[in-house]
Amino acid sequence: MNKLKKLFVRWESFLVLIIFLEFVVFGTLNSKFLNITRLFNSLNQFLPICIISLAVTFVMITGGMDIQAGSIVGLTSIVVGVLWNDAGLNIFAACAVALIAGGLCGALSGFFVAFTGVQPMVVTLGGSFLYSGLALAVTNMSATEAYQGISNFPEAFRAISKTKVFGVVPMQFVIFLVLVVITYILLHKTNYGRKVFLCGVNQNAAEFSGINSRLIIMSTYVLSGVAASIAGILLTAYLGTAKADLGAEYTLPIITAVVLGGTSNSGGSGGVIGSALAALAIGLLRIGLNLNGLATQYLDIPVGVLLVLVVSFRFAGTNPKLRKFFMKKKKPETVSKVEKVD
Amino acid sequence: MFKKLLHSRELTSIVFIIVMFLGVGAINPTFLTLQNIWLCLNSSVVYTVVAVGISLVLITGEIDVSVGATLGMAAAISGTMIRNGQPWGLAIICALLVGLLIGCVNGFGVVVLKIPSIIMTLGINGIVRGLIYVYTDGKWIENIPFDFKLLSQGRLFGTVTFFYLGALILIVLVHLFLTKSKRGRYFAAIGDNIGGATLLGIPVDATKFSAYAMCGVFAAIGGVIFVSRVGFVTPLAGNGYEMKVIAACVLGGISLSGGVGSVIGAGVGAAIMASISRVLIFIGLSSDYDDTITGILLIIIVVSDALLRRRTVAKARRERLSAKTLAYDLEVKGGAGNE
Repeated sequence: MNKLKKLFVRWESFLVLIIFLEFVVFGTLNSKFLNITRLFNSLNQFLPICIISLAVTFVMITGGMDIQAGSIVGLTSIVVGVLWNDAGLNIFAACAVALIAGGLCGALSGFFVAFTGVQPMVVTLGGSFLYSGLALAVTNMSATEAYQGISNFPEAFRAISKTKVFGVVPMQFVIFLVLVVITYILLHKTNYGRKVFLCGVNQNAAEFSGINSRLIIMSTYVLSGVAASIAGILLTAYLGTAKADLGAEYTLPIITAVVLGGTSNSGGSGGVIGSALAALAIGLLRIGLNLNGLATQYLDIPVGVLLVLVVSFRFAGTNPKLRKFFMKKKKPETVSKVEKVD
Repeated sequence: MFKKLLHSRELTSIVFIIVMFLGVGAINPTFLTLQNIWLCLNSSVVYTVVAVGISLVLITGEIDVSVGATLGMAAAISGTMIRNGQPWGLAIICALLVGLLIGCVNGFGVVVLKIPSIIMTLGINGIVRGLIYVYTDGKWIENIPFDFKLLSQGRLFGTVTFFYLGALILIVLVHLFLTKSKRGRYFAAIGDNIGGATLLGIPVDATKFSAYAMCGVFAAIGGVIFVSRVGFVTPLAGNGYEMKVIAACVLGGISLSGGVGSVIGAGVGAAIMASISRVLIFIGLSSDYDDTITGILLIIIVVSDALLRRRTVAKARRERLSAKTLAYDLEVKGGAGNE
């Protein structure tokens, strides 16, 4: 266990190194990158992904997979918009309803994952269709045309993204940091977090040691739904427009951030800090490359390359060909053993 | 043979699509013409071809979410070459080679580098999507020669398009390959129990690699058909197809944990996926509800399937247990009687 812990410490420090390198490289290439105000402004667009990846870490630690978070972002955004614009609700009440809606969406998928034993990938795939479809349906309830999006939000709401703590750090970033602390404590310091890990290591063992593993698994999806809602609200406040298709392209970056953060996709290991750092590293990479003249459309290439390179480095390290070679040599023995048992 | 058919998972999907057609016909009788049904089926040709490819990967228990990007890349390449007046054959071969290359890269990552398949293909998806922008410079590819577009309109007996006929033949060929040939049966064996397959000496790595390579080629074929059917290629062509096609496979009874399902199911699933939006119009709903219905269908079918299967497993276990106790009783009593 101690060894494992060391490995994670190393992994996270590696991520810090990447972020540091990005600052050095992009800072020397273009001094605008080191302009703090500008940097935070650019990062605002990426923060929803950072926030969602925190919660998706929980899901992936239990051995699950969540590809629906992006569609919940759009659903939240349009729910806030329609409730405020067409139902005349107070904007913050609308946000609260949207948060609950996001949690319910997560709970629905989580229920199917935990209680029916269908693969999480399939359920959340269905969920992503369902929730983005619902978002379109909600859009149709609004008097505003879908392509325009609902805008003209009150100043109090827009202030969420415009307020700057100490005159530099945007409110959104502070919210992100608070969420990092909350999720860190939840995952690494509480009873609940230990149960989440145990469910990922061995669900049967968790069940036999008196943990209601299904409820724990379901709760991780609720968390990710709520996180997606928070992200959706922040994004709506930042852009000033509520649209059904916000967050539609988030699946790749979210999974990239979580996996790059050192969370295993088969469950049982990982951490929130890693995800947060990895998400920031990807965000900074995109901003830096963009500042140095790479158009936004091309940014998937370096992110994809980074993902494949880093992950192949990690997995090729744990599965050296030598080991495979030895496995092949041992094969005849194992076969005879199996025959004996039969 | 008939009994086997009755228990197959594809049957549920086939019954479902028939019920769907009949149900829509009951609501709106104008739908239930042979022409409409052929229209539904013909429009599923791109989904069908790509679904056949991805089902090869799914059956080995892996996943490939880069097919959408592969389709877009193949469409961009073949579209550009055909527009520039190069021979069609050359354009198609180039597109297929690119598909093969992307598939091989995926296979290399999953088989040699041991990267979990969803992560590898997700990364490749991003890379290829970006490369499409580089290749097309972000512009639409238009002015595809009319003759090439006409290819997708050609029909046999005025019903089935040649493309869909080709896709059906493809399904039959791949199905025969998977069920009758030795190498083909490796796919399901690996997906069912990879440890057991390794112990039996099945070339697991080579088979998985070939599954990815074939998947890439099929996605590229889908891309070429896409060009002919749609008539223009945007840099976003094929975006989201990976999820739609995986959903089609799941609707057709293929399990994402591998070993279960067939390409026939994939074809039926693709037909369902393509029909939903057309069917909605006949019920009088906006096609905006396409995704909602797809999501609900997917969850209902998969969940009910899982619950049914759990019941059969529990039933089998009970039967086994009672058989065991019966045998034990007989043995004890029989032993006592002999003495």
